[in-house]
Amino acid sequence: MSREITLSKAVNEAIAEEMRRDPAIFLIGEDVAEAGTPFKVLSGLVEEFGPDRIIDTPISEPGFMGIAVGAAMTGSRPIVDLMFGDFLFLVMDQLCNQAAKTHYMSGGKLQVPLVLRTNLGATRRSAAQHSQSLHALVAHIPGLKVALPSSAYEAKGLLKTAIRDDNPVVIFEDKLMYNDKAPVPEEEYLIPFGEAAVLREGHEITLVATSSMVQVALKAADLLDRDGISAEVIDPRTIVPLDEETILSSVRKTSRAIVIDEGHQNFGITGEIASRISEKAFYHLDAPVVRMGAMDVPVPFSPALEDLTVPTPETVAENARLSVRGELFHAA
Amino acid sequence: MPHEVIMPALGMAQETGLILAWRKAPGDAVKIGDVLMEVETDKAAMEVEAQAEGYLADIRAREGENVPVGNVIAVIADEPGAVAAREEATPADAPSDEQPPAQQDGNEVIMPALGMAQDTGLLVAWHKQPGDAVAADDVLLEVETDKSVMEVQAGHEGYVAELRAEAGENVPVGDVIAVISAEKPEVPVKRNTSKKKDAKPEQQVTPASPKNPETSRPAPKRAASQPPTGDRILASPKAKRLAAERGLDLARLATDGHRQPYHVADLDRLSAVPAQPSTATANAFDHVEARVDRSGYDAFRLWLAGESQIDDLAVWSAFAIATLRAAIQSESRRMVAQAHRPLRRQSVRFCDPDLSGLSAIEASQDDLAPDLILRDLTGSAVTKAHFGAPAVPAISISDSNGTFEIILEFPAGMLEPETALAIVHEMAARLEEPLRHLL
Amino acid sequence: MAPKKKTNTEDYLQMYRQMVRIRAFEDNANQLYLSAKMPGLTHMYSGQEAVAVGICEALEDTDKITSTHRGHGHCVAKGAEFKEMFCELLGKAEGYCRGKGGSMHIADQSHGNLGANAIVGGSMGIATGAAFSAKRLGTKDVAVCFFGDGATAQGLWYEVMNMAALWSLPVIYACENNGYSEYTKTEEIAAGSLTARAQAFGIEAHSVDGQDVLAVNELAQKLVARARKGEGPFFIELKTYRYHGHHVGDINRDYYRSKDEEAEWKITRDPIVNFGKWLEAEGVLSADELVAINDEIKADAKAAVDYALDAAYPPTGEVDMHVFAGVDHALSYV
Repeated sequence: MSREITLSKAVNEAIAEEMRRDPAIFLIGEDVAEAGTPFKVLSGLVEEFGPDRIIDTPISEPGFMGIAVGAAMTGSRPIVDLMFGDFLFLVMDQLCNQAAKTHYMSGGKLQVPLVLRTNLGATRRSAAQHSQSLHALVAHIPGLKVALPSSAYEAKGLLKTAIRDDNPVVIFEDKLMYNDKAPVPEEEYLIPFGEAAVLREGHEITLVATSSMVQVALKAADLLDRDGISAEVIDPRTIVPLDEETILSSVRKTSRAIVIDEGHQNFGITGEIASRISEKAFYHLDAPVVRMGAMDVPVPFSPALEDLTVPTPETVAENARLSVRGELFHAA
Repeated sequence: MPHEVIMPALGMAQETGLILAWRKAPGDAVKIGDVLMEVETDKAAMEVEAQAEGYLADIRAREGENVPVGNVIAVIADEPGAVAAREEATPADAPSDEQPPAQQDGNEVIMPALGMAQDTGLLVAWHKQPGDAVAADDVLLEVETDKSVMEVQAGHEGYVAELRAEAGENVPVGDVIAVISAEKPEVPVKRNTSKKKDAKPEQQVTPASPKNPETSRPAPKRAASQPPTGDRILASPKAKRLAAERGLDLARLATDGHRQPYHVADLDRLSAVPAQPSTATANAFDHVEARVDRSGYDAFRLWLAGESQIDDLAVWSAFAIATLRAAIQSESRRMVAQAHRPLRRQSVRFCDPDLSGLSAIEASQDDLAPDLILRDLTGSAVTKAHFGAPAVPAISISDSNGTFEIILEFPAGMLEPETALAIVHEMAARLEEPLRHLL
Repeated sequence: MAPKKKTNTEDYLQMYRQMVRIRAFEDNANQLYLSAKMPGLTHMYSGQEAVAVGICEALEDTDKITSTHRGHGHCVAKGAEFKEMFCELLGKAEGYCRGKGGSMHIADQSHGNLGANAIVGGSMGIATGAAFSAKRLGTKDVAVCFFGDGATAQGLWYEVMNMAALWSLPVIYACENNGYSEYTKTEEIAAGSLTARAQAFGIEAHSVDGQDVLAVNELAQKLVARARKGEGPFFIELKTYRYHGHHVGDINRDYYRSKDEEAEWKITRDPIVNFGKWLEAEGVLSADELVAINDEIKADAKAAVDYALDAAYPPTGEVDMHVFAGVDHALSYV
């Protein structure tokens, strides 16, 4: 049975279902209990699980992140709520030097089964310190898995998988999508990591899009359809691990690709995926692989400026047309 | 049990230590913690304490010597009597065979470890030249490491006997870069040994060190310059791959004036571009013409027709194959003619038509590659047509005003001129007087 | 030194042995570094033995500790064996971390050691989290967070102390004040008093002579028992001294610490010598017995060093193992 629920509700359900299943799970973060987070994603959980498992902390991100790492090493399975993705910079040592490396540095003897839930996405008019999409930072660090749900369905299935994983997993929700509804089965389901979803089939160009950019790519594909251009849309769903084979086999079919992600374009996810395509499907490419990330500026406040910084269906479609027509030519 | 005194690793990234002074003499009693010697490293002198009790014996490294970390420099023996005979062998001028064979005798100056985790130092400049006199605290060179330039002192008094590295070179820490001799050298040397590892004195490479001396060597200079790319064709990787698979030449699109870069869609256009001669001879052809009166053939045909149905294509194919066979002296091989009557869209194949009776020649149904093409253009105004170089010799026969016109075309060089002339001559002769064929 | 009855002979013997084992381990580690047989560098615990031993002897095997870059002492004191430790120091496959951790991450995880940490103050969250787990899961375990005076300058400590106090976590913050924050005197980096900092969070704070293993152990016994009952957290400042420099290569250190000062601590304050004298005076052990223990441990250490020197390095195929739990080889996964 399927019904339509919001992404916010899907996250809430995933946490509640997993906490009912496993008493080792607790959730820790700022204003997660009665407040249910500023986005009200967690409303109702403290009523069911009590303040011992839904734990409000002081505004001490490195502190509660460190506590979660230690708890994860000693029999607990914490879910850390980081109110904004921008606060990742505050927890970097605990996440990247401690959580990510403990299993390796101990020769496999210690494990850190924790989930860091946070968010990404601009255009909420929140300016440079509450609008960033920083998943590339953590995807760069060996030992961390990174999931990027693109709808309520993905949010629930990926979060449940993350909670059951024995490694540190960072999962980024698109904060603009908390109220977007999608069909979500009533029955329990998990979405395995490392399996991309082909959301739309096409044969002339592949649009690889993550998280917030998946809807942008699907709309771009509609625009292209009117021009008689057939676009395939792929959502990797997790970037660590990355389902390279689904992406490569699509590009081998279409010969063209655009990678779209809301992180900054330079040194980011788009560059990584584009480069894997170029390396591994080179002789199948009939056009340069295009990266489309967020503009390489701090996210501006003014709507007139902020909207320029993020790829849109129109800009994606325009690049796709140039690619299909053989008019993308950047070389000197 | 005698205890070996080793050159200790004292600094952060140190590979050798300079013995400044021995504080104990051979035969002296030593206790744990007694200062044995002074060692210079990280630009500071340090006291090294004895780690065992006993009597100092067998000093193996003299003052002023730079010793690789981990080397045994002395022994602490249990008995005072154990003062080794070696003592005699270690005065100030130790025999040179105890030293790694330096090209010039003297104190070696090594690339020092100056930074936290430094594998190499960039030699910025020499402040002394071979033959120069130096004092120990003279600046000998400048080294760049950890993003700052530092002056390095000579450390020894004497003369620069040898410089082994050049300014601009990245030298692994611990490599000998200069030699300072006590006496003014007769022939001071400046050379670069960095590319000849075997030529330099043995350097202690500790097994524990994660550094690989080979990988930290300067990269060989690039070959003079890259060859110019010339008229490279810009095309997508897939277009290039498919063109190669299909035997298509993307350069033809360029000569045809199509704009680069090329994509897969352009390959269709390429298939439509006519082949162009890429060399003077590849697509060239030769041809030979002849004319004969046709009355002789017409009479022969009338005579023959009294006996059976006659097909000119079959008869002429027989004539043509016979002349070709004779000209190229291929008596036994099977030969095939592909005969066309283009204006009537007739095409028929004959296998060895010259070996049958003229009235008994039968068409072959086998899919055989032709050795010769025969075109019957008679009964039309067409006297001559050229369709590019044929793959095999082609004979066209047309007629006008009671005359057969015979044209032989063939790819340039396929037939010798004498052979081609012989074929046309003989073909013409048979058409003029067909009885020749029967003889 | 507090007078003690001889009923605790076994405990005394164990504490003496453990301190001698730490010293023997460090002497050998130092020699391995000096003779360039050990990759990387290392930080010596010599001089601080009474801290690790006094506290760890008050802990159960399942109690947790977090350690520091100067962590060999904690590792030995929490029950590790020489052989696996020297193997780890030399990057060998039989090391506790299969050669992936080395000196700065050494730990025998099976005895509750959650790891040495090369980030100063980096394990304060982990120790507090272990206490959090213990409390929530009802294991009754106590967590001890070892750190140096230098780490008191890290903000993380104040964040986790705050939460530990708010939630009454069974954690003991054990600050080994050896007088030097790397190459700088502690008084130059620490304003006010360290105990007062913990007290500001309402945490009961103690200061103890870190060279006196009996005093350390007595205090630790009491605080561990109280923490187990839910009366934590606690803070202990242990005044101690490191005999070597910040690390083995820190030889030329006159600019921050005088040789006279070092000699004074070694001669008059050595935790092993002084405890040995006390054991002799109390009639627990004879001088000969003390020498026999020292010799036996030295021989053990030497045998372990010889073993480790000959032991195999990990096969190269292990380089991408243990990146993710449940994934054999990370490179074919990501």
